[in-house]
Amino acid sequence: MASYSLTTLWYERQRYVPGVLAVAFSALLIALQCGLLLGLFSITSIPIDHTQADVWMGASEVSSVDLGRPIPESAQARMGVLPEIESCEPYLQGFAFWSKPNNGGSELCMVIGSRLLPNSLGKIDKLTDEQCGMLAEEGTVIIDKSDEKKLGVEVYKKAEISGQPVHVVSMTRGLPSLAGPYVLCSINTARKLLPVQKGETTTYILGRCKNRQDAPRVVEKLKATYKDVSAFTQADFSLRTQLHWLLRTKAGIALGYAAALGLLVGAVVTSQTLYAATIASLREYAVLRALGIPRWRIAGMVVSESFWIGIIGIALALPAAYGLAWAADRLMGVTVVSLPWWLQSSAAAVTLIMSLGSGLFALRSLRQIDPAMLLH
Amino acid sequence: MIGDSLLMPALQGVHLSRSFGEGETKTTVLHDVSIELFSGQITLLMGPSGSGKSTLLAILSGLLHPDGGRVMALGHDLWAMSDLERERFRLRHCGFIFQGYNLFNALTARQQLEMVMRWGEGATPRDARRRADEMLALLGLAKKAHLRPTEMSGGEKQRVAIGRALIKEPNFCFADEPTSALDWHVGQHVIELLRSAAHDRGATVLVVAHDARIIEHVDRVIHMEDGRLWQQEEREPVLHTIKQTR
Repeated sequence: MASYSLTTLWYERQRYVPGVLAVAFSALLIALQCGLLLGLFSITSIPIDHTQADVWMGASEVSSVDLGRPIPESAQARMGVLPEIESCEPYLQGFAFWSKPNNGGSELCMVIGSRLLPNSLGKIDKLTDEQCGMLAEEGTVIIDKSDEKKLGVEVYKKAEISGQPVHVVSMTRGLPSLAGPYVLCSINTARKLLPVQKGETTTYILGRCKNRQDAPRVVEKLKATYKDVSAFTQADFSLRTQLHWLLRTKAGIALGYAAALGLLVGAVVTSQTLYAATIASLREYAVLRALGIPRWRIAGMVVSESFWIGIIGIALALPAAYGLAWAADRLMGVTVVSLPWWLQSSAAAVTLIMSLGSGLFALRSLRQIDPAMLLH
Repeated sequence: MIGDSLLMPALQGVHLSRSFGEGETKTTVLHDVSIELFSGQITLLMGPSGSGKSTLLAILSGLLHPDGGRVMALGHDLWAMSDLERERFRLRHCGFIFQGYNLFNALTARQQLEMVMRWGEGATPRDARRRADEMLALLGLAKKAHLRPTEMSGGEKQRVAIGRALIKEPNFCFADEPTSALDWHVGQHVIELLRSAAHDRGATVLVVAHDARIIEHVDRVIHMEDGRLWQQEEREPVLHTIKQTR
């Protein structure tokens, strides 16, 4: 059946081109829409994805990395005693108000305070050793070049965070922000800039496992033992953060609407293409029916054609999605469109189901097959 | 045993009637028609357009339901069967050839025949290919197996259509105007192939046509007009030496 379907698709390709393009369009739209959103929201999990920790432990029910609440720094011992843990350390993160120089107004910013040694777990990997050295002095901060105008400062300029003077000593590149510009500093500086971090508190305890694969086990142990904290592996916390933003901003609805629209267009065009193709071969199918070939065989051929249209459409769409994502990333200088394997697989699966559904819908054409129509 | 089966008609239509339309537009195309067709015989059903010959073929072959009467095929009442049973009967016993070749443009001559074997009889790809090649060789198309309909002449296409009808080695072969789109030289060859199916394989062949040149190639001629049979003509003895019975 597959060989007849493929032969027919190839030989009569001009007839099937609209269907294939419609499927490709749907797959491309879904992949890019989701990839764009994923790329956008991956910005929210930068503190997780660009640090070295295997395990994150924070206050209970933390829904996103930027919404961490203070926990006692002594909680570090809970993680430190676990045999799977190689090292652990505090990490501070929280929103604060940035006051621009010369009464230029204020901005909400995201202060990140971490240890700054080369092997520190919370050190953002965009920081060079030289920049880490600069941050050792209390009151010094580093911002990203992309936020320079937003924060109204240049290197070596001074501003204020939460009423505390800060000195911008350098800038990173490739650290875009969504909710508020990232302000990187040492733990000591962060304690001063984040009013909620009073005394011996921290926002998170970060841990590195002797064997990275033990991270899920460490998380389970912490969850089972301590009900007043939450713990995640790096990957889980990253996904949790992104999903939080996706749902909180209702962007998922927009995504679903656009994807559904793409699917609908693809389904209608594909179904009509298959319907027209079947109608065009009505007399040939009628001969098969006269010969007693069961209707399900013919239906199978139509559905098989829809399957291959789906596969070909997806095969065209995914490289195109890659190309467009690459071009967008190059143009913007940062990752704009994120296309992980599971997103590609999901887009392919949804598109293939849509294509098969179109094939099933086109089966209504088979009702018109009547062998008696062949007689004069 | 064989003699007994030959004396019995393989296909029998009894008091068949059929109308189309309703009320004032109702047209009766078959009036109480009874007909007997025998194994190993090629029968020509002739008549002017609108005489009801194609309708009779459709009813006898299980494609069109009669308003009245019954069709006995190999001892079974064809129109007492369920749709599925009749479909299976056609699958097992019937081959069809139509005026238009109705071949799939995308498929080669070999694939057109293979498709019937694979989808109809569930043959393996290997068996289907072997049977298709044998049939194409029999039809003189061994070297054309790889060609698609657009690369073949009308005669070649009709031979492929005949191959598609005969590859299952059916008991019945129904041909509706199989030569009307062909020049006579090619048409003659087509009729000979059908005649061979009847004489060599014992098939019951019914040809509907209006071309009088076919008459000399068939065993029996039945004339039809205004929905009635009005003349039957035996050209040779009804019983033939059958080389193969099924």
